[in-house]
Amino acid sequence: MIPWLAQAPAAPALNMWNAPAGTPEIWMKVGIAMLAGFGLLAALIAAPTRLRRPISGAFIFLAGLFWVLVFLFPKPIDSQTPHEQRPRGFVQDVSFWLADAIPVVSNFSNILTAFILGLGVFSLVRIHLMRVAKKQNDWPFSVVLLVSMVAMATFGYWDWKTRLDLGGAKVDEAWPLAAYGKDLLFDGMLQVMEAAMFSLIAFFILSAAYRAFRIRSVEATILLCAALIAMLNLMGAVVVTWDGMIESFGKDNAFVMNFTLSSVAGFIRDNLQTPGIRAIDFGIGLGALAMGLRLWLSLERVGGN
Amino acid sequence: MANEKTIWEKLQAIDRRVLYTLLMVIATVSLFFKVNVPTKPGQPTKDLYRLLVDDEALPEGSTVILQSDWTQSTRGESAGQMEALLRILMRRNIKFALLSVADPQAPLVARNVIRAINLERKAKNQREYQVWEDYVNLGYFPNAEGTSNAIAANFKTAVAGRKETPPGSATPLDVFQSPVLSKVSKVEDVPVYINVTGSKTSNILIERLGGRVPFAALVTGVMGPETLNYYQSGQVKGVAIGLNGVAEMESLMEKGLVETGKPEVKSFAGETNYGRGMAYYLALHTCLVLMIVAVVVGNVAMVAARKKK
Amino acid sequence: MQSESYPIIKLFVGVACTVGLYSVLYRETKFYRFFEHMFLGLAAGWAMFALWGETLKSTWWDRMVGSVADEGNPAVPGYWAWALLLPIGVMAYFVVSKKHNWISRIPIGIILGLWSGQQVQVWFTRYGPQMQSSMKPLFPTTWSEFITPLQPEAGAVYPAQVIGNLIFLLTLLSAMSYFLFSFETKSKLFNGMTTWGRWLLMIGFGAIFGSTVMTRFTLMIDRMYFVFIEFFQQGLIPLIGGR
Repeated sequence: MIPWLAQAPAAPALNMWNAPAGTPEIWMKVGIAMLAGFGLLAALIAAPTRLRRPISGAFIFLAGLFWVLVFLFPKPIDSQTPHEQRPRGFVQDVSFWLADAIPVVSNFSNILTAFILGLGVFSLVRIHLMRVAKKQNDWPFSVVLLVSMVAMATFGYWDWKTRLDLGGAKVDEAWPLAAYGKDLLFDGMLQVMEAAMFSLIAFFILSAAYRAFRIRSVEATILLCAALIAMLNLMGAVVVTWDGMIESFGKDNAFVMNFTLSSVAGFIRDNLQTPGIRAIDFGIGLGALAMGLRLWLSLERVGGN
Repeated sequence: MANEKTIWEKLQAIDRRVLYTLLMVIATVSLFFKVNVPTKPGQPTKDLYRLLVDDEALPEGSTVILQSDWTQSTRGESAGQMEALLRILMRRNIKFALLSVADPQAPLVARNVIRAINLERKAKNQREYQVWEDYVNLGYFPNAEGTSNAIAANFKTAVAGRKETPPGSATPLDVFQSPVLSKVSKVEDVPVYINVTGSKTSNILIERLGGRVPFAALVTGVMGPETLNYYQSGQVKGVAIGLNGVAEMESLMEKGLVETGKPEVKSFAGETNYGRGMAYYLALHTCLVLMIVAVVVGNVAMVAARKKK
Repeated sequence: MQSESYPIIKLFVGVACTVGLYSVLYRETKFYRFFEHMFLGLAAGWAMFALWGETLKSTWWDRMVGSVADEGNPAVPGYWAWALLLPIGVMAYFVVSKKHNWISRIPIGIILGLWSGQQVQVWFTRYGPQMQSSMKPLFPTTWSEFITPLQPEAGAVYPAQVIGNLIFLLTLLSAMSYFLFSFETKSKLFNGMTTWGRWLLMIGFGAIFGSTVMTRFTLMIDRMYFVFIEFFQQGLIPLIGGR
C-alpha cells in the first residue's frame, strides 16, 4: 500500500500525506511541496558539471529499475485482495507494494508525458512569436498559426467548462456559442485538414510506384509479384470471381481448391509473409531490448552536452 | 528529329499531375455508384465477428473495454471500423468503457462516431445509447506504455479519478459507480478488450496485456501485415484490416457466419449493415486497378524501350 | 438548438480547407501555406486544451487538491506529494537554456528509463508466444491423403501441411540470418541463407506495400467522399433545390 499517493484500495483516514480538499491546509502543503520541488531545481542548476551525468543517470536507472523489479520479483497472489486479508512477510509485502505502485508509476508517466508534450507547443509558440516580433520572412503565416492556436485552445476550454457546469446533454440541446466555436474549429476544420493532409500520400505513392516499381532485379520482381497478389486479394470482387471460376472446376476437390486466390494469398500470408515479418519483428525486438538496456544503464548518451 | 521521344519513353514519363487527376477522377466517379461489391471474408475477420457476436464469447449485456486510438487522419478506414463495431455492440446491448492513449484528439473523435450511430438508431426508433448507463468515457492517457501496463496490472486504480456526468445530473460522478463499470475492477473481468487503432497501440497492448483477456484489433492496412503475425500466434483473437476488413465485417453483419465444425453466428439482416466500408469499396477496386495498370505500363514501356535500343 | 444553416457552413469551411491543402499537388503556394499554418495552429491549440482537460485535470490536479463532497460524490482528500511533479515537468523546458539544458534530460530520461525498464517484460510477452507458435510440426501424423482435405481430421497433420511448415521455418530462419549475420562471412551456407532471406523478405515487403496502398487510397477516397458526396450531393444540391 502506498498511503502517500492515494493508491490504497479504500481512501485512508487523514494523515500527514493528505489534507481535506478546499482547506487552507491542503493549499499550504501543496505550496510547500512545490517550493521544495523548485528548491531541488535550484540545487540542480547550481550542481557542478561533473555531477550532471551521474544525476541524470541515477534518475534513468531508478525509473527503469521499477519495471525490472516488477518483472523479476515474485508476483503477489492477487493484488485485488483487501489489505487486511493479505498474507504477511517480506516477499509478499514487497510484491504487493510493487503491484500497488504500478498505477502510481503509470499516472506519474502520464502526467510527466503531458508536461513534456506541452514542450512541443511551447517551442512552436516561441519560434513563431520570435518570427512575428522580428518580422522575419513569411511572418504573417506565423500570425495565422498563433491566432488559430489561441482560438482552438480558448473554444476547447470554454466548451469543456460549459459541459462540466451544465452537463453534456444540455449543451448538445442548447448549442451555446462555445459549442459552435469548438465544433467548427475542431470538427469543421482541424479534423478535415488532418484527414486531407494524410490522404495526400495516396497521390505520391501512385506517382512513386509508377516511376520506381520496375523489374530490374530478382528482389524487385519478387516484391512486385507479392504486391500484385496482395492487391488483388484486397479486391473482394476479384477474389469472388477467381475463386468462383476455380470452384467450377471441382468444388469438392481439395487439390483444385488450392488454386483459389484466397488459398494462394493465404498460403503466401501464412508461410512466407508472416515468417518474414516475424523475422523482422524479432530483429527489431532484439534491437529494442539492447537499446533499452543501454539507456537504462546509461551506456547510451541521451543527447545534450 | 533525333531527340524526339518514342512512345515507350513517353509512357515512362507521364506527368505526375496527370496521374493525380486520374486517381482523383476514378475515385470520385466510383463513389457515385452504390454497389454492394461481393466479398469473401478472410479468417481473421471471421474470427473477429465470431468474438463480437457469438453469445458465448461475448454475452449480451456485458461490458467491454474499447480503446479508440484513431483520429480523422485515418477516418477512411478507422471510422468504418468504429461504426461497424458500434452497430454490433449497440445491437447486442454491450456496454463499453471508452479510452484513448494515442492522440489528444482521439476521445472526441470517438464520441462523435457514437453520436452519429445514435442518430442512426434514433431515426429507426431504436434505443439510443446513453452515457453512464451504456458507456463511459475514461478520457485520454498520454503515456500508452505506462497506461497499458497499469491497466493490465489493476484496471480500477489505473483509471481511478475519471468522472462522467450521468444524464439529468450536473455533477460528474466516479465512473466505477456507473452500471458500465460497477462489476469491473480488473481487466480479466471483461470478456473482450477491443482496440480500434490508426497507430501501433495494438502492439503496445499485446505486449502489456500478455494474454490476460481476449484481445481484438481493428487496424489500418499499414499495420495489417504486422498484426496478422500476432493473430497467427494467437495473441490477437480477431482482426479487421483496413477498408477490406470493414467491407468484410459489413458483409458478415448482413449474411451471418457459417463455418464447418463451429456454431453458426447470427446476422443482423434487415438492419443498416452496409455503411462506409461498402460505400468506399468499389472506389478502392478502381484505384487499385489504376495502380496496377500504372506499374504495368511503366514496366512494359521500360522493357519495350530497352528492346528498341 | 443548433442553427439549421450551420451544418452546410461547416461543410463549406471543411471543403475550403481540403482544397487549400490539396493545392500542394499542383505546387506549393502561399494559399497552401496559409492552410498549412492554420492546421498546425489548430492542432497545437487542441493539444494545449486536451492535455489539461483530458489528462492533467483528472490525473494530476484533482488528485493533488482533492475534491469536496457534493451530490453523489464523497469528499476526497488532496495528496500534496503530486505537486512535486510540476517542478520535474518544468525541468523539460530547460531545453531552451544554453547553460542548463542538461536539466531537461532528467524528465525525458525518466520517461526513457521507464520505457527501457519495461523492455525485458515486453520482450517475453510479445515474442514468447510468437516463438512458441513458430515451432510447427515437421512430420506428418497421417498419410491417408497427401493434400489437406477440405474437411480435415481434427489434430491430424497432413504431408502438404508439413511442406507449408517447412517453408515457414525456412523463411523465418533465412530472414533472421539475413538480419543477424549481416557481416561478411565465407560460409557458403550462410551466404546462401542470407540471399534466400533477402528474397523471401521481399514477399513480406510486397504484402506490406499492397496493404499500405489500400490504406493510402482509402484515405484519399474518404476525402473525395467528403467533398463530392457529403458536401455536394448531400449538402449543397438539396440546398439549392436539387433532389
